[in-house]
Amino acid sequence: MQINLYKKPVLFAIVSAVVILIGTIATMFIPMLTPQMHPKLENLKPYTPLELMGRDVYMKEGCHYCHTQTVRPLKTEVMRYGEYSKAGEFAYDHPFLWGSKRTGPDLARIGGKYPDAWHYGHFEDPQKFFPESNMPKYGWLKNNPINPSEAEASVKALGFPYTKADIEKLKGKNELDAIVAYIQVLGVAVAKKPSDKPKSDMTQNPLIGNKEAIAIGKKLYDTNCAACHGADGRGGIGPSVVDNVWLNKEGEVGDGFIYAIIAEGTSTGKEIEGRIAKGGMPPYASQFDENKIWAIMAYMNSLKK
Amino acid sequence: MQEDLDRIEDFEAKETKHSLPIGWLVLFWGLIIWGVYYLYAYTPAFSGWSQEKAYEESIKVGDKK
Amino acid sequence: MSTDYQFDNQTVNGFIVSSIFWGVVGIVIGLWISIQMWAPSWNIPPYFTFGRLRVVHTNGLAFGLGLGAIFGIFYYITMRLTKRPLMFPKLARFHLYLFNIAIALAALSLFAGMNQSLEYAELEWPLDIVVVIMWVIFAIVIFGTIIKRREEQMYISLWYIIVTVVAVAILYIVNNLAIPATLTKSYHLFAGVNSANVQWWYGHNAVGFVFTTPILAMFYYFLPKSTGIPIYSHRLSIISFWSLVFAYLWTGAHHLVYTPLPDWIQTLGIVFTMFLIAPSWGSVVNGYYTVASDWSKMRTNYLTKFFILGITFYGLQTIQGPTQGLRIVSQLIHYTDWIPGHVHMGTMGWVTMTAAAAIYYVVPKIYNTTIYSEKIANIHFWFVLVGQLIFSITMWITGIQQGALWKATNPDGSLAYTFMEGLVKNYPYWQLRTLGGIIFTVGMLFFIYNIYMTMKKGKTLSHEKA
Repeated sequence: MQINLYKKPVLFAIVSAVVILIGTIATMFIPMLTPQMHPKLENLKPYTPLELMGRDVYMKEGCHYCHTQTVRPLKTEVMRYGEYSKAGEFAYDHPFLWGSKRTGPDLARIGGKYPDAWHYGHFEDPQKFFPESNMPKYGWLKNNPINPSEAEASVKALGFPYTKADIEKLKGKNELDAIVAYIQVLGVAVAKKPSDKPKSDMTQNPLIGNKEAIAIGKKLYDTNCAACHGADGRGGIGPSVVDNVWLNKEGEVGDGFIYAIIAEGTSTGKEIEGRIAKGGMPPYASQFDENKIWAIMAYMNSLKK
Repeated sequence: MQEDLDRIEDFEAKETKHSLPIGWLVLFWGLIIWGVYYLYAYTPAFSGWSQEKAYEESIKVGDKK
Repeated sequence: MSTDYQFDNQTVNGFIVSSIFWGVVGIVIGLWISIQMWAPSWNIPPYFTFGRLRVVHTNGLAFGLGLGAIFGIFYYITMRLTKRPLMFPKLARFHLYLFNIAIALAALSLFAGMNQSLEYAELEWPLDIVVVIMWVIFAIVIFGTIIKRREEQMYISLWYIIVTVVAVAILYIVNNLAIPATLTKSYHLFAGVNSANVQWWYGHNAVGFVFTTPILAMFYYFLPKSTGIPIYSHRLSIISFWSLVFAYLWTGAHHLVYTPLPDWIQTLGIVFTMFLIAPSWGSVVNGYYTVASDWSKMRTNYLTKFFILGITFYGLQTIQGPTQGLRIVSQLIHYTDWIPGHVHMGTMGWVTMTAAAAIYYVVPKIYNTTIYSEKIANIHFWFVLVGQLIFSITMWITGIQQGALWKATNPDGSLAYTFMEGLVKNYPYWQLRTLGGIIFTVGMLFFIYNIYMTMKKGKTLSHEKA
């Protein structure tokens, strides 16, 4: 029997195909026919034409070669990026863009973390935000207009709902607008959980005036905060941190209040002590321990003079 | 141009044609046995393990510290 | 025994020359993107940013250099083992032209950003159709020749050739099923988790049936041919072949460990990946035992060391890869530089080493001459070996370091390093990696020079008319 096989090429090819198909059927075809491979979160929305065009730009520019889009259920990973990825989040992703390499950070929970202006600025010049970043500059995307008829062909091909007005709105939009729109919806179908321990036991900054702490705080501020709040603290993409306007309302606030904003961030409409946040400040509690946050605040305080 | 044709006998050793090194056999069967264990231990339907549960466990351990 | 008919050497030669050409393109772009990793000013938008170049690098080398060499050498081996010229020689020649057109269009379309965003299946749908047509032509020539063979018994290399032709056809067609939106844009037919599962079933088996089975076909043919020593155990070859072919298709999910893919598929992927060590080492052991009957060949026959080092890296690769798939290891190193480190040990250490040795064997044969310089071949060997080792080892170190920094926490439980603090620690290793790449490239230049001079030295190329 065995000898025959190695003398009969057609039979050999058929047997090889069968052997190949066993694993293929078991791990790919059968699962595909079951609902476990097609889950969908209830509040997951299909991409709008603009978002889909942004996703196309993401694919075209090969963003997925350096950025992943899946947070693994591992403790430090959830701390760094946010809630781990759920199967039901990706129902409209043709194809999935989970990636295989993190030269840059994971983007599964990037949506809503920073304001649009942050992304426009960062695409334009990543090194302005992170001087040692190796990300290429992508400001030139704004020179490429979105083609509304191509966008319509795409949403049609995927069967996503859209209106004529959606397509009309694309006129005048460019690829940079589109990719920012896409980035801002990434991962938003899963509610953000408040970070583990945003609170400090102290209500007064214990490090105010401490020279060593101010030096540490300056270093952290320059690399993490200056891009939005300005090197001198007088604001830019984000508000000034040296005046007495906090969450768009004048009046001094306590150190605990500022600590909470840095640790927890602000999400749109969030209320803290009667003030309403516009959103856009990411939480830093998982990146900075208590001392570091107080040190940054000590530095901010020193900028006031 | 002429070229000597291949003789299939030159490709396959005669005396050792049926040899299977013992170390390799140990590896072969060892991996199958290990595979059965791993399949049991990490398949939710068999052992109850799942990556979500493992994650929940890992953050509980963290809280105790 | 000799024969009075002539083999179709020009097609074989054409594939080898094309393969080397695309190899140069792919390697130069590889060096370029390795510099972009630590010097972002080397990005020149829109066509020469990392995101566009990386895919030209991977496709250029996997399909230009890799497949080009595979087509040429498969035709060479098949003619010898079937003891007859190619069936449909004109179709084979058309295959050569179509291959070059396809790779050229592939490179241009990828520079232009037409990208399906499925790793190793990036080409847009019109090119997918061209690739499928090309593969059908290849299959017709190979099967036609094998069916009309003049040697009843099919040698191991022919098994690997047949399974490559069959497997790639299935893999490529299924994963490239897409919904076209325009001529240059399509969307994967599958979505989300399912899309991931299909893609990595394809992606890992593209590695299996482009970087493994074809190279084993070469190994099993050229090792006995160049050393004159027969393969140690036929039975070991048989068991290794069937268990490799059976197990490979289950393993794709090891790329998706700890993603939302159902746990049971991940676990099956890991189990079969670990099992693959056995058939892989079956070939490694078979190679070692073969040469063990006369180790002096390592010194006296310059090609032997290419094959033995090649199969050694294959062996290391097939331990490294499965280990990386284990959940406990994957936690630490997935998404780090160890992943490209792993790929490059396979491609630079095993695939290129073995294919280069096969080309060293084939070119003098079809030009009816001897190699231009064994000394240059030895220099080539040491350069590519050292270059590859620097590359692989720096990627291991920086990969493990990255993974450790991402996981590191302060005593109070907060993360010890921001992403950026982890990133900057890669830079020195990435610079070393570029150095490794340069050394490897110099080695390849020695190789190309040696092949070119051999061709020049060779007498007239025997023409294909049978």
